[in-house]
Formats: sequence, C-alpha cells, structure tokens
Amino acid sequence: MSSRSPAIACIGIIGKHNNPLHTSLFPPPPARDPLDFSFLLSSSLDVFDARAPLKTADQDFGLLTAVDDRLAMYGWLTNTGVKFVVVVDMEGRPAGIASSGIGGSAAVGLRDADLKPVFRALQTAYIGLLRNPFYEPDDHSPVSANVVGRVGSTQITSKKFIAEVKRIGESWAPGVTNL
Amino acid sequence: MSFDAASAIHSAGPDPSSAHVSLSCLDFLLIELVPMAQRLAEELAKREEEWMRGTSGVTAGSESKRRSGDTMVSTGMRTPRDSGSTAAAGGSSSGAAATAGSGTVGGAVSGTGIAADDDEVREAVFYRLEMLGYRVGLGIAERFSRDKPRFTDTLDVIKFLCKDLWSIVFRKQIDNLKTNHRGIFVLTDNNFKPLGRISVEKHHHGVLQESQPFLFFPTGIIRGCLAAMGIEASVQGETPGLPSASFQIRTAGAKP
Repeated sequence: MSSRSPAIACIGIIGKHNNPLHTSLFPPPPARDPLDFSFLLSSSLDVFDARAPLKTADQDFGLLTAVDDRLAMYGWLTNTGVKFVVVVDMEGRPAGIASSGIGGSAAVGLRDADLKPVFRALQTAYIGLLRNPFYEPDDHSPVSANVVGRVGSTQITSKKFIAEVKRIGESWAPGVTNL
Repeated sequence: MSFDAASAIHSAGPDPSSAHVSLSCLDFLLIELVPMAQRLAEELAKREEEWMRGTSGVTAGSESKRRSGDTMVSTGMRTPRDSGSTAAAGGSSSGAAATAGSGTVGGAVSGTGIAADDDEVREAVFYRLEMLGYRVGLGIAERFSRDKPRFTDTLDVIKFLCKDLWSIVFRKQIDNLKTNHRGIFVLTDNNFKPLGRISVEKHHHGVLQESQPFLFFPTGIIRGCLAAMGIEASVQGETPGLPSASFQIRTAGAKP
C-alpha cells in the first residue's frame, strides 16, 4: 500500500453554466468508471457555490472534499466562471515510476500548493483553446446552444486541447512544479 | 494584443500565452476591418437581390400562366407578363430579363429596395463586426483576467474593462466613467485610437454618421468581455466628435 504514490485520476472542466465541457480519466475507461467520476464532478459544484461568496481573492479553491481514503477533489474557479476540478488518487500509481526521488512521499499527504501547477497548466491550455478562432465558446454553452436549436453534445472536441489535458494529467506527480 | 513599453515589460513574465503584435498592424487591422465587412455585406446583398429577382421573375411567369386561362384578365395586362413567362421558360433567370418581364411590380420593389438595402447592408456590417468583436472580447477576457483578483460585482468588471482591457487593446485608459448605479454605464474616451486616423474635409457633413461603423468592432469587444464575466449587456457606441467616442453599456435588467 505504501509503495504507491498519488496520481491524478480525473480532470474535469466545467463551464460557466455548470455544463460539462470536458472530462479526462486516468487511466482511461474501463479502468475507471466514467459515471462515478461524473457524479463526483457534479457533487463538487455545490462546494464551489458554497465557497464562492467567501473566496473573493484567489482562483484556487484548494481541497474541495476528500471523497474517501484514496480520492480527493481539488478545484479552481477562473474569473470567467470556468471550473477546473482535479480528482487525485492517493494510490494512483506505483511509487518510483514517475516521481523518481520523491518516492514514498505518499504518506505525507498533499498540500494545496502541489496542485497549483496543474491548474495553471489547465488554464493556459484553456486560454490556448479560446485563442483558436474556430472554437466558438457559445456553441459549448447550453444557454445559447439551445436557442440556436443545436442538438448533441456541447463538449470540447479540440484534439489539441484534449491531448494537452491528457499530458497534464499523466505527467503530474507530487513535487512537480512545472507542467 | 498591443502593449506600450511599460505594460509589455510588466506582462512579459512567465506567461506562455503572451504574444505581441505590432501597434501599426493592429491599427491597420482595426481600420481595414470596416471596409472589408462593408464589401462583404454589399456583395452578399447584391447576390441575394439577383437571386430574388430571378425567382420573382419565375413566380411572375407561372402566375401569368395561370392567369392566361382566366378570361377575366384583359389582354393589355397580359402581354407584358406573357413575355416575362417566355423569358423565364427560356431558361433565362438573369436579373435584366426577369425585371423586364415582371414590369411595374418588379420596378417598384427594386425602387424601394435601394433604401431598404442600405439599411440592410448597414445592419449586416454591424452584425458581422459586432460578432467578430464579441468573439475577440470573450478571448481577451479569458486571457487577461487570469491573474486578477475575483470580480465581485459589476463595477469591478467595468473597472477591469476601463483600466486593463482598454490599455491592452487601445493603449490608454478610459477618460471618464459615468454610471447611474442602476446598471447603466457610460464610458468616454476623448482620444479613441481607432478613430484617431480619420481625417476630415472641412464643411463635410455626415462624418459622424460615416465614422459610426468604426465603433462596431469595439462595442463587440466590450460586450464579449462583459459576457465572459457573466454580465449580459447591450452596448452602444457613438462619437460626439472625432476622435472621441462614448460607449453606453446597458446591463440586463438596468433601470433608466
């Protein structure tokens, strides 16, 4: 048990109207159940709502909830209302594979600051997505997409963005400061 | 986007998405955007008109075919219409033949069509530029609000707009901000950069009217930026005299 170290289990990107924009699971399904994590992400929204009036300065919401012994959710809310949620699995990967030298630090636990680089990288990726002229943010919001009568998913389909989220999710380990 | 030297140094930190644009390029782009939108709108309007004329010729023709069986229709009315129907039946749907066929009706429509067309083109130009600006505003807000403290109310957002966004896009801050504290804000810029290059002949009337389209894109940026921050608003730009500009922001649910 102690020979495993924390890893990201899920990254969720949630839009302004609490609409799911993108969800990545690590390792991908069927190793992890998409429905389980969809529930987790939904439950995290309440924490955002409850804390938002009190958090006036920072975008980092830190630890949202510890789900069980293994999973914990961390959140970030941008000024434009986009939410990033990272679910960390404390025993996500065998120690010593990705985190050489920091192996065995699992018992110490995580600090909020450990997740900051993840959120910063995610936000950079999201800004990069918005800089793509072919990405129409309003097509991905349920409010305006329903008016136009578009049917189907409002999820992000940009391959570059999805690949970047995947890279971030896979390369993070406790102590990594630059993603 | 554009920066003056100070803010460029300030923002050229570890931000990987920081890119810089030549000031002159941005100026040219903001200027050229307007004639481009105008040309596009005019071309589209012309094409649509041609298409409408073509179909109206055909409908007039089929109508006259139906009427040719009708004994009540006088021959004097019928002959020009019949020539129209032969033109349409001959496969010619070109504008000239069709209008000749449809006679007075088509003439009347295109006669009023010119005035309505101008409005339509203007509307199309406005829509195109405003939507472009809106999209740019969404992106800019996302990009430049990342390191700002959270905005707690509308006034915070408007301040961000006046100070940060304005100096990023237009290289200066807004000169004057007025509000009625009930959702209406008036931003005044006494030296609005996109209007700064417009030169005017003396005694030339209607300049203010003609420079209006150069404000469409900026109003779009404002609206997009507000929308990104979660504020639905309608924005109206006008120039009380070159090169100043004022923007009225009316947030949803505002009371006058």
